[in-house]
Amino acid sequence: MNQLKPVKNSYNSRTRTNVIRLFRWNGAWGAATALMALGPKFLWNNSLVFTLLAVGLDVAIGVGMILANKNYLAELDELQRKVQLNSMAITLGVGLIAGVPFSVMDSYHMIPFHADIASLLILMSLTFVASNLYGTWRYR
Amino acid sequence: MKNRLKVLRAERDWTQAQLADALDVSRQTINAIETGKFDPSLPLAFRAARLFGMRIEEIFHDDDRSSLATEIKKDTYV
Repeated sequence: MNQLKPVKNSYNSRTRTNVIRLFRWNGAWGAATALMALGPKFLWNNSLVFTLLAVGLDVAIGVGMILANKNYLAELDELQRKVQLNSMAITLGVGLIAGVPFSVMDSYHMIPFHADIASLLILMSLTFVASNLYGTWRYR
Repeated sequence: MKNRLKVLRAERDWTQAQLADALDVSRQTINAIETGKFDPSLPLAFRAARLFGMRIEEIFHDDDRSSLATEIKKDTYV
């Protein structure tokens, strides 16, 4: 039997580290977004300075999250990257195809509610999760 | 593309996880290559060849090799 040497800093441990880092950036961005959205009303009584600071913080953390995501993708192996790329392509397509008619229907009052961006974000998130699960299952 | 990765791995008594670690990819990728669901890139094929001490074409080969050979033969006579 030809024994393999144990690998230091293996693919799995690197991916785990990157996932944790990405999860932390996502959490921080979510918290900053909540602060930016709710702070003016509930925390600082619509003070323009604090609102601008909250927007700046949200954007800065957002940039960090994008870089963490980029780093995560760059460190993935080629199959995992392919699964992620497919998921992103499907998500982008669904977001575009669903988003434009949704907005047009809202403009012409064809839907009984306001076309909120949050609805589109939820649809895109669910699409990404579903296509990612499908990709993982397909190459399992 | 077909490959002999599973046979070569079994001959050495390696698990998919061990081979994945040695090639710096996920176990899922090794499984997908072995089952023919995914074709590796050239750098990964080179890494596998180096690990097994073989040439790439001894591990990976084209499905259409016979039909390709026929086409080349045909072109030669045209």
